[in-house]
Amino acid sequence: MCKTCGCALPRAIDQNSAMQPVGPFRAINVVQDILAANDRTAAHNRTHFDEHGVLAINVMSSPGAGKTALLEATILALKSRYRIAVIEGDLETENDANRIRACGVPAIQITTGTACHLDASLVHQALHDMSLDGIDLLFIENVGNLVCPASFDLGQHLNVTLLSVTEGDDKPAKYPVIFRASDLVVLSKTDLLAVLEDFDPTRAATCLRNLGLETTMIHTAARRVPSIGAWLDWLTAALEHRRAPRSVVFSGATAHQDA
Amino acid sequence: MHELSVCQALLSQVAEIARAQGAAAVEQITIELGPLCGTEPRLLWNAFSAMRCGVAANAELRIKHCSVSIQCLQCEARTETRPNRLVCGKCGGWRTRVIAGDELRLLKVEIRMPPRLSQIAVAAVADSSEKECNYV
Repeated sequence: MCKTCGCALPRAIDQNSAMQPVGPFRAINVVQDILAANDRTAAHNRTHFDEHGVLAINVMSSPGAGKTALLEATILALKSRYRIAVIEGDLETENDANRIRACGVPAIQITTGTACHLDASLVHQALHDMSLDGIDLLFIENVGNLVCPASFDLGQHLNVTLLSVTEGDDKPAKYPVIFRASDLVVLSKTDLLAVLEDFDPTRAATCLRNLGLETTMIHTAARRVPSIGAWLDWLTAALEHRRAPRSVVFSGATAHQDA
Repeated sequence: MHELSVCQALLSQVAEIARAQGAAAVEQITIELGPLCGTEPRLLWNAFSAMRCGVAANAELRIKHCSVSIQCLQCEARTETRPNRLVCGKCGGWRTRVIAGDELRLLKVEIRMPPRLSQIAVAAVADSSEKECNYV
């Protein structure tokens, strides 16, 4: 019944879209990394660094782990031997860049607004405001966050992740993605170990080992009496490796994830 | 919350493919996510529901979940494991290689092509309900 009034027809018939002619269907198979566009920009940044002979290091950690303090101590120790520059990433304020500039090296502040990580295009933009001529070492201090920065290649050569002893020693087990992407893990604020009973560096090392990492864990204390010798040795070795003729520094692990 | 950035990258990629194919609409997008890619499937799905636009305004997102597999570089055994335990399930060695579980990939885009001219001739109404796209 009702072929005349149309009440038995599917409801969709009432909608404009159902009246439209429908073209043929097609399935396109693609196998593409979703972050391919970011990776292309990152590769472009890396070429830029390589052309200028700059070693670029992406420094990551949770907020307050002591990234800026470590960079300040590092700059004071190395600025007579190497020319250093810093790109700072924070949601707001110019505070960290000001701290770096006070150490006598150029710093560009990227304020991300509400974005929880730096990406390759933000770094690329910052590079337009910065001359890399004569720079040996560029630190990119990422937004304090143990989750989001791990997914975005910036064009760095090496990833360094800080783990402060005021955090839990099981952080590598809780945040495997970022620690797995690290070329080096720096244990920071180790001068506080004496008064912090619940952080066991051996347990942190075991968590890292469980991620299948050969990554070494270097102990540092950047405040009061700085103790950053092993970190400076690692940096110097990476810089010298970079300076060797036609050498290619081992690429950052984030850049390798899809290899 | 970086799922918004990942979603934006996905929508740009899909829009580019749709443009290259001359598609009228994207019906379904299939992606593959591993636990080690750093992107949470549920949050990405939520982001997609809020952000889909333009030619993909009515697209469905299908997420294929992958598990983590590693291969031991010593005994060569392949084992399935958890994201934070990447040591060999057979010999316990920690020198391993992740062979699956870090995927963040677009696999398939299913599109509807524009109707043929003969079909257009009989069409009475055009649907202009597409959301404006700010992302591509």
